[in-house]
Amino acid sequence: MGILVGKDSRVIVQGMTGSEGAKHSRAMKEFGTNVVAGVTPGKGGQDFEGWPIYNTVAEAKEQHDANVSIIFVPPFGAADAVLEAAYAGIPLIILITEGVPTTDMMKAVQEVSRLSEENKAQGGQGIRLIGGNCPGLVTNGECKVGIMPNRIYQNPGRIGLISRSGTLTYEAAKLLNDAGMGTSTTVGIGGGPIIGTTFADVLPMFEADPDTDAVVVIGEIGGADEEAAAEYIAQNMKKPVVAFISGRSAPKGKRMGHAGAIIMGDVGTPESKLAAFKAANVPVADTMPEIIDLVKKALNQ
Amino acid sequence: MKLHEYQGRELLRRAGANVQEGRLAHTPEEVRAIAEEFGEPVVVKAQVHVGGRGKAGGVKFSPTPEKAYENAQNILGMDIKGLTVNKVLVTKAVDIDAGTEYYVGMIVDRNVGSYTLMASSEGGMDIEEVAAATPEKIIHHRVDPITGLRPFEARDIALKAGFKGNLNKIADMMVKLSEAAFERDAVLVEINPLFVDADGTPMVLDTKFEVDDNAMFRHRDLADWRELEAEHPLEVEASEYGFAYVKLDDGNGGVLGNGAGIVMTSLDVVNRAGAKPANFLDIGGGAKADVVYNAVKLVSKDPDVKSIFINIFGGITRADEVAKGVIQALDEGILTKPVRMRIAGTAEDEAKALLNEKSSDLIKMYPTMFEAAEEAAKEANSAAEGK
Repeated sequence: MGILVGKDSRVIVQGMTGSEGAKHSRAMKEFGTNVVAGVTPGKGGQDFEGWPIYNTVAEAKEQHDANVSIIFVPPFGAADAVLEAAYAGIPLIILITEGVPTTDMMKAVQEVSRLSEENKAQGGQGIRLIGGNCPGLVTNGECKVGIMPNRIYQNPGRIGLISRSGTLTYEAAKLLNDAGMGTSTTVGIGGGPIIGTTFADVLPMFEADPDTDAVVVIGEIGGADEEAAAEYIAQNMKKPVVAFISGRSAPKGKRMGHAGAIIMGDVGTPESKLAAFKAANVPVADTMPEIIDLVKKALNQ
Repeated sequence: MKLHEYQGRELLRRAGANVQEGRLAHTPEEVRAIAEEFGEPVVVKAQVHVGGRGKAGGVKFSPTPEKAYENAQNILGMDIKGLTVNKVLVTKAVDIDAGTEYYVGMIVDRNVGSYTLMASSEGGMDIEEVAAATPEKIIHHRVDPITGLRPFEARDIALKAGFKGNLNKIADMMVKLSEAAFERDAVLVEINPLFVDADGTPMVLDTKFEVDDNAMFRHRDLADWRELEAEHPLEVEASEYGFAYVKLDDGNGGVLGNGAGIVMTSLDVVNRAGAKPANFLDIGGGAKADVVYNAVKLVSKDPDVKSIFINIFGGITRADEVAKGVIQALDEGILTKPVRMRIAGTAEDEAKALLNEKSSDLIKMYPTMFEAAEEAAKEANSAAEGK
C-alpha cells in the first residue's frame, strides 16, 4: 500500500491529448496505474489510444467514479483546471504544470482549501492538491500518478520520500534502491513559491503508514517549509526522519530556478533550516549518498 | 521582471495612487529643461536595476536647473554595481521635514500562501535593516487572495503601524497598492518612502516593482518595457533559449544540470570540491540534444568559465540526448573547455556508448557527481592559476 494512492486509485488525466499528457498517460499505464479517462475541453467524445476523452472533469468523474486527477494543462489554464477538478469533487489533485503564475496558485490553493473544509463539514473526505511544479507521487510497485521514471520504482521498500525537487527525488529513490532499501511512497511536493501540500502535511501520513519505517525529506533553500517540518517532527513523529538541503552554497537574493528557492533576508537560509532540523534531532546529510548511511543508522537505533 | 522606478511609478499611477510627478530623461539638457519646466528644486535619480543607488551617488537633490544639469552629467554614464546609468528620473523635490516617511510593501509569502502586506513607520530606510534591528516596527498582514485588501483592513493596518495623516486616504493608497500587486502579478511591490505631507495626504515618492515572469503572457504591454541592454548578455541569451540561468560572481566553473534541485546541489558539490561555480543553469526537464548544445554553447561563452561540470540524472530527460548535444558542441569546435560529467538515469548506457566512441580529453565521464565535480574543480582551478 502506501499513502495517498494505490490499487484503488482511478485516475483521470486533464490534458491527456497534449504531448506531455499523452506521454505520461502511457508511462503511468505501463507502470500499472489504473488510468480511466482523459479530459480535454473540445475533444469530448473522442477516443485516445483506448481512453475515452471528456469535455469536463465532472463527466469523467461521473462515468468512471474517478478519485484522482493529474493535470498537464499549460500554465495559463492550470489553476482553472485545478478548480474544475476540485468543484467536480475529485479528492486528490496532482498539478504537474511548471510556471503557473503565483497569483493563480494563491487563489487556487485557498479555494481548494475552503472547498475541502466544506466537504469535510458535510461528512466528506476533503480535497488535497499536490504541486504545482511537481513530479507527482508514486507508491512503489503499485500506482504512479506523476512523471517519475518507472524503472527506479520497481522494487517496493519501506522508506517514505518527500521532496521539493523532481530530479533529486529520482536521485534519492535510486540511491535507496541501490542500497537495497527501496521506497514506499514518494511524494514530490513541488518547488514553487505557493504549493498545495507541504512537508508538514505529508509527514503525518507517513507516520500513520504501516508500510513506511523511516522518512527522507529533501528540502532546499527558501521559504520556511523545512522549518515547519522540523517542528512537526519534533512534536509528533515517532518514526525516524533524515533530511537533505539543496542549495546550501547558493548566494543570497538570487532566484535559483525554482521560484521558491530564493533567500530573502534571513528567512529560508540553509543555516535556519539546519538549525531547525538539529533542534528536532533530525540528522541532515551533507551529500545525497550520505542519506543512505543516515537512514541505515536511524533504522538500527 | 524587475521594473525601473519610473515604470513602477507608472503602474501605481495607473492603479489610481497619488504618485509624485516625475519625468524620464536621457541627457543633461533634457534634465535641465524638465527642471526649468517644474520651476522648483528637483531630484535627479539614476534608473538602474540595483539597490543602493543613493549610497552610490546616483540620487541627487538639485536646487536649480543648472545644478540638475550638473548632477545629470555626473550620474549619466555612472557605473553602479556593474550597470551603466543611461537614463534618469527627474522628480519634484519634497521637503521631507514637512511630512513623514512610511513604508508599505506587498510581497509573495509562501508561508501564508498569499501576499503579505508589510507596513512600517520607519520609511525611507532599507526595510531589511528595519526588520533586523526593530522587527516590532513592521506590521504584517496576510492579504486574502480572493478578496484582496479591503479598506477596513487597510485602516486597521495603518493605525497599528502608527501612520499619522488622513486615515481614509492612506488606507485607499494601501488598497490601490494591493490591487496593483494582484492586477500586475507582482512578486514584490514596495512604496518606500510613502510620504504623508503636513495636510495628511499620502504620496508615492519611490517604488520598487517586480513582475512574476510566469505571468508575463498576460502583461504583453509590459514586455515592451524590458531593456535587454540593461541585463547581462548571457542572461538575455539564456532567456531566449528558455533556460533558468543565473550568472554568479567570482566563479570559475560552469555548472549545468536538469532541474533546479540538482543544479543547486551541483553548485554545492563544486563548492565542496574547492572551485567556485560561475553560473546556475537548469536545462529543464525532457531536454533534447539541441537544448543541451545551446546550454554548452552559452556556458562556454562565459570568459570566467574554465571548466564545465555537467550533472544529469535522466528521468524525463534522456541521457543519450544530453550526450549528443555535448558531442555536437565538440564537433563544431564550440566546446573548448574541459567538460567533466556525470550522467545517470534514463538511456544512461546509450549515452555512455556515444561518449566512449568520441575519445577526447575535453569530455570525460565519471561514475558519481562527486568525482566529476572534483575533476571539474581541478581543471578550473589550474586554468585560473595558469592565467
